[in-house]
Amino acid sequence: MTDTMNRSAKGKRPHFYETPALDQMMSMIMVLAGEVSVLTDHVDSIERVATINGLDLKAGIAGLALDQAALEEREARRQALLGRMFYLMRKEAAEAAAAETGEGYSSVIAEIAVG
Amino acid sequence: MLNTFQQHFHDALPSATPDEAARQEFAKSLKQFVQQGILPGLGPVFKARATPRFERETGRAPADRRDIRKAMTPDPYFQHYAAVNRISQELLWDSVIDSIDRDADAVTEHARQGSARNAGELRIPDDFEVPRYVSALDIHCMPGGYAGRGEDTDGVTLGALYDRGVYLYAMGYTGPDNDDMGRSVCNYIKRKLGGWAPRRILDMGCTVGHSTLPYKELFPDAELWGIDVAAPQIRYAHGRAGAFGLDVNFAQMNAETTDFEDGSFDLIVSHIMLHETSGKAMPKVFAECHRLLAPGGYMIHADLPPFDLMDPFTQFILDNETYYNNEPFWGAMRDLDQVQLAKDAGFPAETIRFDTAPMAVMEFAAQAASGYSQEAADAVADREFTAGEFAPVGGWEVLIAQKAAA
Repeated sequence: MTDTMNRSAKGKRPHFYETPALDQMMSMIMVLAGEVSVLTDHVDSIERVATINGLDLKAGIAGLALDQAALEEREARRQALLGRMFYLMRKEAAEAAAAETGEGYSSVIAEIAVG
Repeated sequence: MLNTFQQHFHDALPSATPDEAARQEFAKSLKQFVQQGILPGLGPVFKARATPRFERETGRAPADRRDIRKAMTPDPYFQHYAAVNRISQELLWDSVIDSIDRDADAVTEHARQGSARNAGELRIPDDFEVPRYVSALDIHCMPGGYAGRGEDTDGVTLGALYDRGVYLYAMGYTGPDNDDMGRSVCNYIKRKLGGWAPRRILDMGCTVGHSTLPYKELFPDAELWGIDVAAPQIRYAHGRAGAFGLDVNFAQMNAETTDFEDGSFDLIVSHIMLHETSGKAMPKVFAECHRLLAPGGYMIHADLPPFDLMDPFTQFILDNETYYNNEPFWGAMRDLDQVQLAKDAGFPAETIRFDTAPMAVMEFAAQAASGYSQEAADAVADREFTAGEFAPVGGWEVLIAQKAAA
């Protein structure tokens, strides 16, 4: 897609929160909610198109029994998703374990500059 | 109420891929949710939290809409409401721009084909100056604004953006062709003005002509003109009318000073235009209406009722448009004495009044337009109104005045 139209409306945008970053966070959350909605609509379309073509996906999905391999695959995917979502907490725990600090980082900068 | 309203996809509208359509539908759903799910909580939050805090801090109760703004803006509930409302507006335009950017050549070509079918005149002067009240901000946050800047001014894409975007903005409340306001005023004329039929009609600030076309449908023998200060809107409007199979004239003109002759129209209308002018322009628009009307002709402006007709909390909610939606004249316009302005323009006092033109949303259900279920139409027409919702219950507020007979 080539952007040709202007996407920024002229006029200073107000802040709604005391912390300006929260305005940006909320807009990202809303965009993500939109994309979830788009995907859900798309899955719904897949089911409906399949039904029109004689394949009752919806009933098939409702009646699907997951075998052990499928259960494991799904659970691994969910855990991986949560792991990605909470990567910053993983990082914090690792820093705590390694006793990494801001002061330590600054001292490395100073040390490397002359070392 | 489940809002399933769907726009009628006429030939001039930009096409949408399934995912683009889903993004646009989400923007509309988000606006509907803000209106139904979040907006009603503002009143209780104001009473239970914001008012006591304001009283603690100032030693007095909030007295007017300015006090209420000071009381509400620190409250997290209000912050979420205002932030998400603004974001929904931004996502709405962005979702439509995706479609137009993908398909700009087709949008331009379809408008050209529509224009070729419209026998009405298209008048766009070379040296037109867009007034500052339209160019200073991109009104209701539509990127590029009505009139565009630079290259945008030459094409039709900003018209297409408005046509699709304003449907989502209104969440379909104004009907499958966005024409409820024009349709409602037409119905009002037919029912209230005793069989009077205009012969030459001017629609001021018509943008893409969505409110203009019902006048041609209901008064087919009349000569109809739509004018606007924005060339991309006018150009698209001409093609859009052609796509509807209608012959309507469109011109880029300023409603303060048009090129038309004295007494040359017997009906002049506008639909949500006045609040997008200015304190200096609005009296000039009324004076221009008086000049252009033939003796006995009517001026009917469908716009926002004045603030003095509502309580301070409602005023505060509505005035959010001024602060958060690039509508600089929204609040100030509601403080003006519109009846006095009409008097000053020369209209006889006894002919000037505010009235309600009932919404035509029930007609769309009767026509079985896509998504316009009887149930949803009933819900829009009969709902309990919360200040800040897009459309008032029952109808559009209109200011009417009649020029003295010769």
